[in-house]
Amino acid sequence: MEKKSKLTTYDPGEFRGKFNILIWLVICAFAFLGAKMWYLQALQGEKLSQRSMNNRIRLQEIKPLRGLILDTNGKILVDNQPSFDISIVPETAKDVKSVIKRLEYVYVERNMKFSNTVTFEKRRKPFVPIKLERNIGRDKLAVVETNSLDLPGIIVDVVPVRSYIYGEIMAHVLGYVGEISTLELERDLHRERKRGDIVGKLGIEKSTNRYLMGKSGGEQIEVNVSGRKLDVLGKVESIPGYNVMLTIDADLQRISWDAFQGKAGSVIVMDPRNGSILAMINKPSFDPNLFNRGISDDEWSKLLSNPFCPMQNKAISGQYPPGSTFKLLIAAAALEEGLITPDTLIYCDGTFTKGDRTFRCWKKHGHGGVDLYRAIVESCDVYFYNLGAQIGVDTLAEYAKRFGFGSKSGITIPGEKEGLIPTKKWKLKRFKEPWQVGETISLSIGQGFVMLTPLQLLRAYCALANGGVLYRPRLLKKVTTEKGQIVEMFHPVKESLLPISKKNLEILTHALWGAVNEDHGTGRALRRSERDVSGKTGTAQVIEMVQDEEDKDKEDVPYKYRDHALFVCFAPYDNPEVAVIVIVEHGGHGGSAAAPIARKIIDGYFDLKGTRNILHVAEKMS
Amino acid sequence: MKIDRRLLINFDWILLVLVLAISCIGLLNLYSISYNLTHISGKPLYIKQFYWMLIGLALMFSAASIDYHFIVRYGYVIYCISLMLLLSVFIQGTVTHGSQRWLFLWGLSFQPSELMKLTTIIALTKYITENKINEGYHIKSLVIPFVIVGIPCWIIAMQPDLGTALFLAILFFSVILFVGVNRKTLVMFATSGIVLAPLCWFFLKDYQRERILTFLNPERDPLGSGYHIIQSIIAVGSGGIFGKGFLKGTQSQLKFLPEQQTDFVFSVFAEEWGFLGAMIVIFMFLALVLWGLKIARNSKDLAGILIALGITIFIFWGVFINVGMILGTLPVVGIPLPFLSYGGSSMVVLMMGVGLLMNVSMRRFMLQP
Repeated sequence: MEKKSKLTTYDPGEFRGKFNILIWLVICAFAFLGAKMWYLQALQGEKLSQRSMNNRIRLQEIKPLRGLILDTNGKILVDNQPSFDISIVPETAKDVKSVIKRLEYVYVERNMKFSNTVTFEKRRKPFVPIKLERNIGRDKLAVVETNSLDLPGIIVDVVPVRSYIYGEIMAHVLGYVGEISTLELERDLHRERKRGDIVGKLGIEKSTNRYLMGKSGGEQIEVNVSGRKLDVLGKVESIPGYNVMLTIDADLQRISWDAFQGKAGSVIVMDPRNGSILAMINKPSFDPNLFNRGISDDEWSKLLSNPFCPMQNKAISGQYPPGSTFKLLIAAAALEEGLITPDTLIYCDGTFTKGDRTFRCWKKHGHGGVDLYRAIVESCDVYFYNLGAQIGVDTLAEYAKRFGFGSKSGITIPGEKEGLIPTKKWKLKRFKEPWQVGETISLSIGQGFVMLTPLQLLRAYCALANGGVLYRPRLLKKVTTEKGQIVEMFHPVKESLLPISKKNLEILTHALWGAVNEDHGTGRALRRSERDVSGKTGTAQVIEMVQDEEDKDKEDVPYKYRDHALFVCFAPYDNPEVAVIVIVEHGGHGGSAAAPIARKIIDGYFDLKGTRNILHVAEKMS
Repeated sequence: MKIDRRLLINFDWILLVLVLAISCIGLLNLYSISYNLTHISGKPLYIKQFYWMLIGLALMFSAASIDYHFIVRYGYVIYCISLMLLLSVFIQGTVTHGSQRWLFLWGLSFQPSELMKLTTIIALTKYITENKINEGYHIKSLVIPFVIVGIPCWIIAMQPDLGTALFLAILFFSVILFVGVNRKTLVMFATSGIVLAPLCWFFLKDYQRERILTFLNPERDPLGSGYHIIQSIIAVGSGGIFGKGFLKGTQSQLKFLPEQQTDFVFSVFAEEWGFLGAMIVIFMFLALVLWGLKIARNSKDLAGILIALGITIFIFWGVFINVGMILGTLPVVGIPLPFLSYGGSSMVVLMMGVGLLMNVSMRRFMLQP
């Protein structure tokens, strides 16, 4: 058989020569190894043995400084501060117990407590210090330093620690840092991180961690038996992390924080011309400095058990029914689909019937004849019920998606939620029931299944304000080295255009202007003497209640059932440069609870602008 | 299974004794390492290695009893099964220490890339025996072998485990060059090697480039592999001629070297047993390799030669690269020292390889199909 003969027959001499060569190569290779070993063990043996016996080689990591985070004007938001740890090197201390006793004594003398009981592991690396106390205050530091001669082996480590200058005001945007977890280590395929590294856990600290991180350096030093440095065998300098500059304006952030009244909610301020986020606050909040050296269990459980969710960035992950703010979408769809013109009149008598259900307008006896302008200004529900019923849920969903609703905006901090835009298909899949017409009616006034995040809503209104461009929300401005060289610039990103003609956009923005500046406008609390603000109120139902103009007094309704108050606005009318959204959870009416907050912020914005201009001019002149 | 008397007569005792002797020295060495290492959970290393050795021996005898022609005939099948095991590492998706190399089955962890070394040899053998060209291979006929080796190479490099991928490549080239390559191809190999090397630099990740640069200058990376190399050299050198004595390696240098039981086992041994002890082990390895070459040379057919050669070269490179690495002559690439490094997969696969060596040796008097 052919195959087998190939296996069995060959010419033995063929490989003989090759084998001989191979044998000699192998012998040479081993001889080479043997020679190197002879060199190391016989010739260098004495010297290397010295090094191993009497001397020690120690690795000292030089941790890099983490980059700073700055606001849009260069103000420092997050800094590094020194934190002091006390450690002991047993080999140097010689009599460890007595040294520690002396330390305790020195503390007690000054009414300080020694807060550690040390247990020494049997086997540990020699000359590596053991931590006794972390994060001691400056007084303790002073005490230790002045008594250092009596405390051999006690050393003070300076550990850089994050300092969040604005504390809870900026907590959600900036995030916090902590030691890298085992899970995070395992995910690090490129072995850039190691145990003990500090990494961002939330917010900007997390999403720009690779810029802020820097690179560790290290020293290989030779020490003698007393631990004294003999020689530096090699040193690599650490590279400090890059600085990250945000679009956030610290002064505006503080203004927004102070303006917010209410137990829980969120404010975002955005520039409609480029999507830059100027401020983002959430209440209640938390102090990121708590996490610096590891948060205590008590503090952590306090944060987690707070029913108002202080850890949640409601601006991007809070999902709420948009209420009347959603009406702009309905109006846009109706205009584009040609169902109405600005002059189309619909009669509102306070009710709307579809099938066997009757829906009420918030104004009990109705608005009378209403055109689009008035419908938005006075937020007439019946007008929009009509539109919604004609357009249908799936078409509305189409438009909603093109407004950026129902999907993430891509903002560069983690935790964003997508909200929900219901469709017939969705309801079938989710509830195994068909869509009811009544649900479209609720949808037309932004109630029911629909959910948006404040960021999505604000972004859409910014698009209405700037002529139809949906920008990607922008938090990062640029990244620079510590010396100021630019590493990366982040430019505004135009994502898409709203599906609205320029003409229709104008109609809508004009109505938004009216909502604030007309006498019957629901947003009149926001009217400024400059008459330059446009906006829309919204009241998002938490549970379905009887729709009544004279709503039950706020105090009668339990907090958790009260409606959420919403307000979105922008200013000035021509070439808007600032947009604000305020949501006050369970705040009641948008006009009364949320609008005044927005007003303070808009005022604050223009005040700041004015002051800064004056300073700028003054600088130029001097 | 009927055991032919002739097989028993021709049983290769010397091979068995050599391998057992080296493995036992390995156990002794691991005992010393566990003695000084802070406890890893579970049984001590040397006990675990012993169990692996037993499993390996069992498989060795199985590998020796089946006629190797049979094994070669199903070479591609064996290769494919092994390849699937390799791929399932990615499917199982467990990431350890930043790479995906292990499969977890029935509570044991196992590295398919080790098995791949063996099965690639078998598959190559099959190909070469069926496509022998007397004047030496030219590029066209090498396409299939390239693919046979290339696929696992690439997958392993993705884990990422560049060291093992390179090892496979070295195995491949050793075997192919031995079998014979025509002059034109040889020149092509050489020139493409020279051209590709700088190109590869671009594909290397940062830490891999660091490894190479550090090798050239250990002081460059005082925190990582530079530290290891310097410590290893000190350990080896401080052993002197007679060594510091069993269990007496000061080992303060190596105490917390993470790869002590794997990459740097020989450093520990050299520190404790000195030049004399180390050279004895080196000689034992040399004897093993030469014995393997002898088996290959005496085999009556091409399949036997190739299998024996492949396994022997596998062992040779393992020893040369690892010892070279701990002496500071080669960069740290993570290749274990055969029979001495702790590792179930490596031990078992090597034992199976030795089993195949025995296989060829025992049947050198037979011309069975």
